[in-house]
Amino acid sequence: MKAYKYIGQSVVKVDGKEKVSGAALYTDDLEFGPDLLYAEVVEGPHAHAIINSIDTSEALKVPEVLAVVTGKDFPFNFGLYMKDRFIFAQDRVRFYGEQIAAVVARTPQAAKKGAQLVKVNYTPLPKILNPLDSIKEGAELLHPELKNYEHVPWFFPKADTNIAHHRKIRKGDADKGFEQADYILEDTYEVPRYSHCAIEFHAAVAKYDHSGRLTVWASSQSPHTQRNLFAQALAPLGIRHNDVRVIAPHVGGGFGSKAGVTMEIIAAAIATKVQGHPVKVMWNREREFYNTYQRLGVVAKLKIGVKKDGKITALKHDLFWDAGAYVEYAANVVNAVGLSAIGPYNVENASIDSYCIYTNLPPGGPYRGFGYSEFLFGLESHMNRIAAHLGIDPIEIRRRNIIKEGDLTAYGAHMNPNGLLQAIDKVAEEIKWNEKLKSNDPDIALGKGFSLFWKAPAMPPNASSSCFLKFNEDASINLLVSGMDLGQGFLTVMAQIAAEILSVPTSKIRTENPDTDRNPYEWQTVASHITWGCGNAVRKAAIDARDQILALVSRTKYLPVDTLYLEDEKVKCTTHSKFELPLKDFIINGIQMEDGTFKGGPVIGRGVFMPEYSSTNANPETSQGGHPNVHYTVGAAAAILEIDIQTGKMKVQKVVEAVDAGKALNPSLVKGQIVGGILQGISTALYEEMKFDHRGKLLNPNFTDYKIPTALDIPGEIVPIIVEVPQPDGPFGARGVGEHTMIPIAPMIANAIDNALGIRIKTMPITAEKVCLEILKKG
Amino acid sequence: MAIPYEFAYERPETAEQAVKLLGKYGKNARILAGGTDLANQMKQGFRVPEILIDIKNIKEWEVIKMVNNELHIGSLVTFNDLRKSQLIREKLNILFEAAGLVASTGVRNRATMVGNICSAVACMDSAAPLLVHEAVIHTLSIDGERTIPIQQWFVDNRKTAIQDNELVTHVSIPIPEKKYAGAYQKMMRYSGEDLSQSNVGVLALSDNKYHVAFGSVGPTPKRSLKIENLLNTKGISKETIEEAKAMIETVIAPITDVRATKEYRMHMTKVMFERALKSAVERFKQPKLITQ
Repeated sequence: MKAYKYIGQSVVKVDGKEKVSGAALYTDDLEFGPDLLYAEVVEGPHAHAIINSIDTSEALKVPEVLAVVTGKDFPFNFGLYMKDRFIFAQDRVRFYGEQIAAVVARTPQAAKKGAQLVKVNYTPLPKILNPLDSIKEGAELLHPELKNYEHVPWFFPKADTNIAHHRKIRKGDADKGFEQADYILEDTYEVPRYSHCAIEFHAAVAKYDHSGRLTVWASSQSPHTQRNLFAQALAPLGIRHNDVRVIAPHVGGGFGSKAGVTMEIIAAAIATKVQGHPVKVMWNREREFYNTYQRLGVVAKLKIGVKKDGKITALKHDLFWDAGAYVEYAANVVNAVGLSAIGPYNVENASIDSYCIYTNLPPGGPYRGFGYSEFLFGLESHMNRIAAHLGIDPIEIRRRNIIKEGDLTAYGAHMNPNGLLQAIDKVAEEIKWNEKLKSNDPDIALGKGFSLFWKAPAMPPNASSSCFLKFNEDASINLLVSGMDLGQGFLTVMAQIAAEILSVPTSKIRTENPDTDRNPYEWQTVASHITWGCGNAVRKAAIDARDQILALVSRTKYLPVDTLYLEDEKVKCTTHSKFELPLKDFIINGIQMEDGTFKGGPVIGRGVFMPEYSSTNANPETSQGGHPNVHYTVGAAAAILEIDIQTGKMKVQKVVEAVDAGKALNPSLVKGQIVGGILQGISTALYEEMKFDHRGKLLNPNFTDYKIPTALDIPGEIVPIIVEVPQPDGPFGARGVGEHTMIPIAPMIANAIDNALGIRIKTMPITAEKVCLEILKKG
Repeated sequence: MAIPYEFAYERPETAEQAVKLLGKYGKNARILAGGTDLANQMKQGFRVPEILIDIKNIKEWEVIKMVNNELHIGSLVTFNDLRKSQLIREKLNILFEAAGLVASTGVRNRATMVGNICSAVACMDSAAPLLVHEAVIHTLSIDGERTIPIQQWFVDNRKTAIQDNELVTHVSIPIPEKKYAGAYQKMMRYSGEDLSQSNVGVLALSDNKYHVAFGSVGPTPKRSLKIENLLNTKGISKETIEEAKAMIETVIAPITDVRATKEYRMHMTKVMFERALKSAVERFKQPKLITQ
């Protein structure tokens, strides 16, 4: 195999210097001149209420206030997978803090003053703050219009209930499987809601000019999907897709919160009412918590049957998701988990019911892990408990059950090649799994925890990526893609792929965050699919450009095309060692023939990737028959945890995680994802917790009382391990790793606590307080 | 987030000018030193002062110094000034320890100890160390100087004995003549910056005497003479420590809130009391241990 020059190298990030030096501009940094207007949102102080009337007259009297808009101005539904959402609340509010109206003014102060003067008259309705209450007989219907909402064909809403989607798996015969079991463990696990906590707030500026062009600058993971949703939602105003342009500056973290469309549509809609003016909508930290997406909460009822040797005979997983007030995105989290809640195991008999349930809490939505962290908390806790009951080592029981290449997934498709066994071996070795821990301090207990993980990209079967690759006179390249660099290093890796194929160094490839007018289509930067999906598009574009180059040289220099290749920015020939033609000599202006004519012209590569084998056509009663997931990425993690038995305080001494990247295109960036994922996982496991009061109001929308780790809280030692079993359809064998790295952390911690103290925690987060009170209870 | 309303700002050069301004505006003025608490309150609209009197030009209040057998800490001394002061490290190790646990480095660079006790939020870190050391607060107004013992300073949550026309110039701390050592324990949800959910200060003095104070477990921080009396009369033993821990239940009144339950706060206060006491005793025996 030819050695790679750029692939597999830890190439320095293309946007690193710009960001580290502070030169990088984010949405709030952009200048829009004196015409810029500011909008302040009016929020509803009820979790569920009818809006009787809105009086905007006082607000309009405030000097410098130009307009007040309400739901009446935009009676349009929108949403990514199900159109159940509104730009501003229509006849009712469904969560505490929902946007009712917006005041547009020349200064932020005037907008704020105006917003305080908007008077709204409400009639409170019964509210539902818990998914189990929401599915009770006679529960208040939160979306009486549910049956009329447009949605993707793979959703199954239950009309006249609060169940917006039900994903059902029936594989083999679960009842029979349980009959064959020697031991059955059944229990319930609960995971609350979480917030993404990206450092940069959501921000959007929109301008609707007098030519009918709507331009939106937004901090976004999904510029093209935003364009699509803006155009769909605002179509009644005569806006078409080609009228909408989304420009995406640098993003200060997303983690799913900036996927799809949330507050950005407020800016887009308002702009249509103040034509000619850019309008800015800035979220603050509080709203980041209560009015963007939140990670869904779940109550998961899990039952697993095993033989004496630990082999799983049946699995039943019922998941009741607190999806919030609007589920246009959240329902697909529920769907993804339904398809995958067997975990990375070969389970012949499985029954899964994953319910997407409306509640009067803020809208749920995508969050790094897309539901997998939530269900793996129970599943990987369960595996340890079963192993303990049978007297089998927790890693050994997993080895006996793991899914291998060719085994059938829950929905009956074949499992892709993967390095799960290698990951297990490497993690077990690094953490010295078989060595007993001994604490020298009577106040400190030590425990080891282990967990597997798997995750597939959750995307529509036709989610596509595309790429334009434009050569310039000096053989430098502008690589146009529409994935977003969220800090993960996506743009750098795309440059590496093009560099490898075209022999042009990454330093000569300029690749930037997109402008939908300039850059070709990309679905979204979510699902950890972008290295794989967009990487394939870039690979195809680079091959397209290379093929054009070689064909041109072949026909002008009379050399067989299969003897030509690219090296060091030159075309070379395998049979004529002295032949070399620098790209810069012809890449734009062509090659001159003896008669003075020129052949060729600017080389432009084009690449499109769509996973054409993916399909959601399946029996809704069993989910058998389709191929909804393109592949799974797998891995394993283990940790040594120390616990202060008087206070419950915990410190991760060492954590090891191995992920099968297929091929690590940039090992340093893959390791960055592993370290970051571990920290975010530890944070959700030990510290973060959203607390709502009886009104459904979030009590801790701030970092004073919603804790994410600081440098003082990181583990003593972190060992990231890369496993490489190539993905057949991945660029150079690569598959995604971004979200996966945080998924195993919570059950790993829970298992370590059990190992140290014999205490099983079944609800997240596992705070010091919770552990301490359990220790006291145990006595 | 900007402060959404207008206010006046003055930066006097002398103490005299400062108290003159304060005399003129009274409760409509706020003193600006570190501003870490005030700026947030103004942004959120909890406080709407007409004028801010920025005292950062008054150099005499930046000083940490010994005056006879008292240690003086000026009203502009920040927590990181305390951390950098050899005098504080040597003479007031409990305050040195507490200062290191206040918020984050960024906040400690700005926030002042005097600001901390003037805000008098129940979860402050300065109170317990100052209580066990029997500090005295010095105020100034156009009417002259006043001294208030720390025991009488805290009136309620966010309420102190200060008058509307007064500002604090410095705090004085009498340094015990004989050997002593203190220890501070703070209950936090993690190792990063956090507001204490409970804190305990213990000062071990010669002749087996002890001072004990609790913070964040009631509207005001509290020194417990009852517990001190128990330790002072019975001495330190496993039994008296257990007795004292049981007594804590009658001394403090923790609540359940978004940060912790009262049960956990009560349990942690007992654990921290024992740890602070043992640590103070160890340091008393081996003063070199005081380095953290």
